[in-house]
Amino acid sequence: MTVQALISIPVTLPLLAAGLKLAIGGRQRRLQALISVVTLTTVLAVSLVLLVAADTGGPLVANAGGWAAPVGITLVADRLSSLMLVVSSAVTLCVMVYSLAQAYADQEYIAPLAIFHPAYLVTVAGVSDAFLSGDLFNLFVAFEMLLSGSYVLLTFGGTESRIRAGATYVVIGLASSLLFLVGIAVSYGATGTVSMAQLAERFQVLPGYLKLLVELTLLLVFVVKAAIFPMSAWLPDSYPTAPAPATALFAGLLTKVGIYSIIRLEALLFPGGPVSVLLMWAALLTMLVGVFGAVAQTDIKRMLSFTLVSHIGYMVFGVGLSTAAGMAGAVFYVVHHITVQTGLFLVTGLIERRTGTTSLDRLGGLMRVAPVIAVLFFVPAMNLAGIPPMSGFLGKLTLVQAGVAVGGPLPLTLVAGGLVTSLLTLYAVATTWSKAFWRAPPPELAAPAGTVLESEESPVTRVRREEPSVTRAHGTEGITGREIVTSVTMPLPMLGSATALVALGLSYTVLAGPLSALTRRTADELLAREPYISAVLGSPR
Amino acid sequence: MTISLVPFVASGVLVAAGVTLLLERSLVRLLVGVILLGNGVNLLIVMAGGPAGEPPILGVSARDRMADPLPQAMVLTSLVITLGVTAFLLAVVHRSWQLTGGDEVQDDTEDRRVRLRATRGELAGSVLARREVYRRLVREQRAELARLEEARRERERRDAEEASKESRRESAGRMRAEFARREREQAAREREIRRRLRERRRQARAEMRAAIREDRERQARAQNPELEGDD
Amino acid sequence: MPTTTVPRGNMEPLLILHAVAAVCAPALARRLGRDAFLVLAVAPACGFAYTLRVALTGVPAESHHDWAPTLGLALSFRADALAVLMMSLVTGVGALVLLYCRRYFDAGESGLGRFGGVLVAFAGAMLGLVVADNLLLLYVFWELTTVFSYLLIGHDPESRAARRAATQALTVTSFGGLAMLAGMVMLGEAAGTYRISRIVAHPPSGALIPAALVLVLAGALSKSAIFPFSMWLPAAMAAPTPVSAYLHAAAMVKAGIYLLARLGPAFGALPVWQAVAVPLGLLTMVLAGWRALREYDLKRMLAYGTVSQLGFMAVLFGAATRDTALAGVAMLLAHGLFKASLFLVVGVVDHATGTRDLRELSGLRHSAPWLCAVAATAAVSMAGIPPLLGFVGKEAAFESLLTGRLADTLTLAGIVAGSVLTVAYSARFLWGAFGAKRGREPTPVHGPSATTFTPPALLAVLGLVLAPFAGRYGAAMESYTGTFPGPGHTHLALWTGAPVPLLLSAVALCGGALLFAAGGVVERTGRILRVVDSGRVYWVLMRGLERFSLQLTGVTQRGSLTDYLMVAFVSFAGIGGFALLYGPLPEIRLDVVPWTRPEQPLVGALLVATAVLAPRVRSHIVLALVAGLTGYGTALLFLVHGSPDLALTQFLTETLSLVVFVLVLRRLPLGPREGRPRVPFGMRLGLGLVSGAVMVMAGMLAVSARQAVPVGALMPAAAEKAGASNVVSALLVDIRAWDTMGESSVLVVLTLGVTSLVFLRRRTYTLERPSEEGAPEGRAHWLAATLPAGERAAVLEIVARLIFHTVLLISVFLLFTGHSAVGGGFAGGIVAGLALVIRYLAGGRYELAVAVPAHAGVLIGLGLLLSTVTAFCGLLFGGAPLSMLSADLTVPLVGKLHLSTVLLFDVGVYVAVVGMVQDILRSLGAELDRQIEEETGESGESGERLGGEGSR
Repeated sequence: MTVQALISIPVTLPLLAAGLKLAIGGRQRRLQALISVVTLTTVLAVSLVLLVAADTGGPLVANAGGWAAPVGITLVADRLSSLMLVVSSAVTLCVMVYSLAQAYADQEYIAPLAIFHPAYLVTVAGVSDAFLSGDLFNLFVAFEMLLSGSYVLLTFGGTESRIRAGATYVVIGLASSLLFLVGIAVSYGATGTVSMAQLAERFQVLPGYLKLLVELTLLLVFVVKAAIFPMSAWLPDSYPTAPAPATALFAGLLTKVGIYSIIRLEALLFPGGPVSVLLMWAALLTMLVGVFGAVAQTDIKRMLSFTLVSHIGYMVFGVGLSTAAGMAGAVFYVVHHITVQTGLFLVTGLIERRTGTTSLDRLGGLMRVAPVIAVLFFVPAMNLAGIPPMSGFLGKLTLVQAGVAVGGPLPLTLVAGGLVTSLLTLYAVATTWSKAFWRAPPPELAAPAGTVLESEESPVTRVRREEPSVTRAHGTEGITGREIVTSVTMPLPMLGSATALVALGLSYTVLAGPLSALTRRTADELLAREPYISAVLGSPR
Repeated sequence: MTISLVPFVASGVLVAAGVTLLLERSLVRLLVGVILLGNGVNLLIVMAGGPAGEPPILGVSARDRMADPLPQAMVLTSLVITLGVTAFLLAVVHRSWQLTGGDEVQDDTEDRRVRLRATRGELAGSVLARREVYRRLVREQRAELARLEEARRERERRDAEEASKESRRESAGRMRAEFARREREQAAREREIRRRLRERRRQARAEMRAAIREDRERQARAQNPELEGDD
Repeated sequence: MPTTTVPRGNMEPLLILHAVAAVCAPALARRLGRDAFLVLAVAPACGFAYTLRVALTGVPAESHHDWAPTLGLALSFRADALAVLMMSLVTGVGALVLLYCRRYFDAGESGLGRFGGVLVAFAGAMLGLVVADNLLLLYVFWELTTVFSYLLIGHDPESRAARRAATQALTVTSFGGLAMLAGMVMLGEAAGTYRISRIVAHPPSGALIPAALVLVLAGALSKSAIFPFSMWLPAAMAAPTPVSAYLHAAAMVKAGIYLLARLGPAFGALPVWQAVAVPLGLLTMVLAGWRALREYDLKRMLAYGTVSQLGFMAVLFGAATRDTALAGVAMLLAHGLFKASLFLVVGVVDHATGTRDLRELSGLRHSAPWLCAVAATAAVSMAGIPPLLGFVGKEAAFESLLTGRLADTLTLAGIVAGSVLTVAYSARFLWGAFGAKRGREPTPVHGPSATTFTPPALLAVLGLVLAPFAGRYGAAMESYTGTFPGPGHTHLALWTGAPVPLLLSAVALCGGALLFAAGGVVERTGRILRVVDSGRVYWVLMRGLERFSLQLTGVTQRGSLTDYLMVAFVSFAGIGGFALLYGPLPEIRLDVVPWTRPEQPLVGALLVATAVLAPRVRSHIVLALVAGLTGYGTALLFLVHGSPDLALTQFLTETLSLVVFVLVLRRLPLGPREGRPRVPFGMRLGLGLVSGAVMVMAGMLAVSARQAVPVGALMPAAAEKAGASNVVSALLVDIRAWDTMGESSVLVVLTLGVTSLVFLRRRTYTLERPSEEGAPEGRAHWLAATLPAGERAAVLEIVARLIFHTVLLISVFLLFTGHSAVGGGFAGGIVAGLALVIRYLAGGRYELAVAVPAHAGVLIGLGLLLSTVTAFCGLLFGGAPLSMLSADLTVPLVGKLHLSTVLLFDVGVYVAVVGMVQDILRSLGAELDRQIEEETGESGESGERLGGEGSR
């Protein structure tokens, strides 16, 4: 079997696993866990192979069903796709281990694996398909896969806040999907094809207004998915309410799929054009609005969601520059951000598990109470804030260099905006740190295990036990209406997977040389366009 | 090749109706809006896909007169997805009915909290500002009072000098009465200002508390444990 | 100069040593307690030894390793004279401070490991900072020192002051740092390299360079607490004294000065450089000195003293001539020695008496004479009195500015004023710490131990011992100061014999003495003309930030779905308008006719009518019906357009979704709650119309703009190749089967979603079967329903029973013939599902359980499994995922059957759909029935039982 044969694995294998799990039914936990882990590990391995192959030998193409490009659906693994695949599969593996450990630790409390994990796997498959697909309509299907998976994960357990957030999230998703269909309708009407490579050629001959129409419509869709201002407000409302692993997955991957699509759109389908200016403005506003939102929050999860939004702006900035350096910066930042943001949300999950809340009004003293979690939080938090020599800094540096190299008022403004964002991120993170970790701990945290704490002002009645116990988050603290399992003891795999992600984030520093070179090569390949098109349409090479 | 207007217009109308429904608060109506919008868009896909023709079945109809099959296939896919989404959203509707007794989409409580904190900050600021203003007023009044005091003593001294002169006696009495009156007015005005200041402050605090309480209640309603389904 | 001996410059091992020490610190502290500090001190000690070696074997020592070439980031180190000076300060003072820590902290104190680790890490970062030969590398270490100092200042995190001070220091310095980063990138991009030595050798020029320099200076000044940024340093005195001595006297605050000194040779000549550095430096020197005179806390007094001295050095390196630079390096050394020593002394005093307030301290001159002597030596050096190093530095400074140029003369005046203040607060410090106050009995003292006493003594004495060798020191620094422009008439010496500087020193001395004598006056005048306290400014700014972000978020973050959708569709409409009006006005090149098929107007009219009706309908169920109608209308249009498959599918799906609607809506109130929606009807309608218009226009324009032959034209041939005659279903199950696979997975997962939302956290998803006592006798043998006889239409039930299998047969037929005629797995699946629906509606939930004897979720799982297995078969045997393998064989009664994995795939879809319908009926149907029964309590006993079963 050639390497091409592997391309479809990241999509088909998770689907197969999901089907298998369902067919087995919610009974054999061990087997279920085994299936999930083996699947995702395999996917990771496969994507690594793909990355190496694509980096050395140019874009890889697989024709689904053996039907070549214009007729059938092609899966393309070029540098960008396979890089995205590697990072996403690494992250999904960690999150899966985390959620498995959690499920295993408090099996009485979590709803059955029969729903959560199939939905998770379908989401993963959707993400992989989105990265691989070389066909516009199939991209739509991929979006539907990952969205419908995320719908289920988000509304999981059907508590009040999740239904509230879920309704918003689902309807926004549907609206954007419909707009996507409009874009597809128009582009098929105009060009008579949905194969991206062919579209890339045929769009060029279209009249300007139509080109612009299609481009902007598709852009709008991806802007919604990627949560770019002004379409960013839905994200901080919905993500924090989901279960910790789901939030981590969403934060890490879903928005990045949107960014990936924007990169493809701008680099492959519509190179150049007036839209890049629009993108830069959007980037500036996204960065600032997002980070000011983060400063305003009093809940860790929401603060992180807002930083998520604001840092999406960095990537858009890179894309908007539409130079090789800018693209490289965007790609690098995507890689960094997937890892770090996911890790942070996992750690926040640990905090929540330890204390039963993520509200800064009720946290404190964690550095003394839970030093391990403190370290696990501090490192990625500083990474997010772009403290050198961590990957956040490297990504930022690449973008700043790209912006300065381009010069001109708007790019320099964006550089300034980016630096301000980075400063305010640091401020928000530091405030969080000093409130949640430095301040003297509240009584219910300092109290020894076994004591029953009930008080009027704290809406949470918490019995501190070593073994897991349910906490119902009500009242005036942060994100409410959820059931949280609190426990003093942390299952080792949970800590392990969080640590793994943090370590992965740090490893980008060590690998800075090769990684930045790779992203640069990726950017060059993207801007050249020719390798992709000829690989798909099989013109003589 | 020609464009037939009617189906396009139909799809346009469907979209319009869909959007109109989509912007309501009731989840059911939202869902119906989505469905209408979906139908309109599907229609658009097929229509933009190519002219009408014969069913794309080999042997039944000639190839050159077939309708373009690709858009049909795409629409078929999107139809199925819409079906699934409909079912799911209806489940959401049911759940939200279980929780809130209605199918309206609720606003986000955290965002409301942020807005409230913003307004709270402004209120506190305005209260402080007001207090400052009244403090200054009182100070001025005091100063004036003191000045008047001074003047009175001066007069009295002079009166004492002229006390001997019978002729000025009643005039001095009038004077004294005059000063006493002014003094009383002065005190009264000052008391008045103090009172106004106090009650303004009270009312501002009341506003603030009211706002906070209201929001607390809204949240409490949103988080009533009874509504958390059966488990 | 021998730069070939690369290994000599190799700094990595040292830095790694520091890192290792830092990581091991907590473990060490756990095992050794306070003695861990002795072990930790080894790291900087090695650094010091290495520094000496470099100093003796000759500078510069270089090394260079690549890190991230594409970013211009490289591990290049260079130890020249200036670097060696800084290295010796950093490592030497570092080692001494760590020794000092051992006694400074109490034995049982918590967090010692953390503290020691961070302190050593800081030492490492500082060391890296001063030897880095790459702007970006320098920035890396720069920010690392910021973060570590953040952690060190917040060492006692439960005190609010410490937390605030830490955050303030972090915010201010990293503000400057980020500005500096921008400046450095500008410099680097302009110069084409980030190698500092190269940039200094060949300074870039360009329009951006002044801006870049201003940014870099902002970074440097903020780090060294020069005027607009001075507030953080005094606040940072909340840190433990060793930290203050090391970070805030010897090492970190010098980083900014170091950067000035580093880049001075290249850019010092530029007007922007002097215009920024010199005035701000002078201002800082004077203001801070003045402030120091009004402090009561000894540590804060020293802090302001430090700020003032930093201003002094900023002036020297800002003036950037060969002479000032010489004076500057002298001051660098002198200040490092005496200020660190003074801080440590304060630490001892604090430890010995328990206070740092000079109003409470009294008579320590007698109770701690040696300590007093040490302090005196250091303070005298600070005041610039011979024969100490401080004096040498100041003399040189005076001399270097005696150029007669106006600017220099003014600067000189400022410096003299500053020196007056310096003398004054030095005196005040000595008096305050050790003097005997009138009317205050001596403060009780428990004697300082040797280990706390030695380091400050050592540092102070060095200040005395080195003074005679100032000349040789100056000569050694020649290799650095020589890189500055200027005559270089200044020399470092205890006795230069130059009259004017001596005179100026005398002036400073007397003035200072007078000022100190007139302490009371200073108090009063100070209180009257108090300079604006930049600390307060900072907090005002922060409050403003909080407020602003709250308000902005309140505006942008509405938290309402309607608003978000509004934004989305408004921007879509905007896009349409923008695109259509951008550039040449579009025109439709095809002829637009009302309709091409006679049926179109009829169906269209129906469709439009229903659509117009929809927004006006209030009742939910009617609305659902209307939606269904539009669906049917669309289906008809599809049929007319020539797509029977589509029409069939649409009919079926619409029917099914109608059923689901009914199932759910039976629980809801009839209509939506009254109360008008957020957005008025008119606006919504307008937006809808615009969006619709944009879409239609876009569609028509697209059609008219098409030139290429659509891919769809290739499909019939492809279908023939696939051996199917129905092109559409060939597309679905073969050519674009990849889409279908994804689509069925979507169905599956959404079905799961329904289940999870209805059953919530209940473990068992099984459907209770009619057990003996559950089912009423008599009928149980062939009809399993248990609804009370009253509600049941037995006829319907029987009919349902009878047609059930027929319908199933039809569905199977559809499944098989899909490949050749209209139909296919999906249509078949829905038909079968509808059969189930009939069965359920007729007979209630037990019928359902009987009808499909499969566990929930298994069916959909199976379906998905089949499709994906097909994909893998294709991959394994066909070479591509989902490539279909086929064989023909004739089956009686169905005829010639084209059997292939296509069929497997199609069956997968079929099963998945059936499973979906079953699940939906099970959850939205049966489970809701159960809940209704529980609530209405009719047939309560059985309801109880079922509920019990269900929720167990």
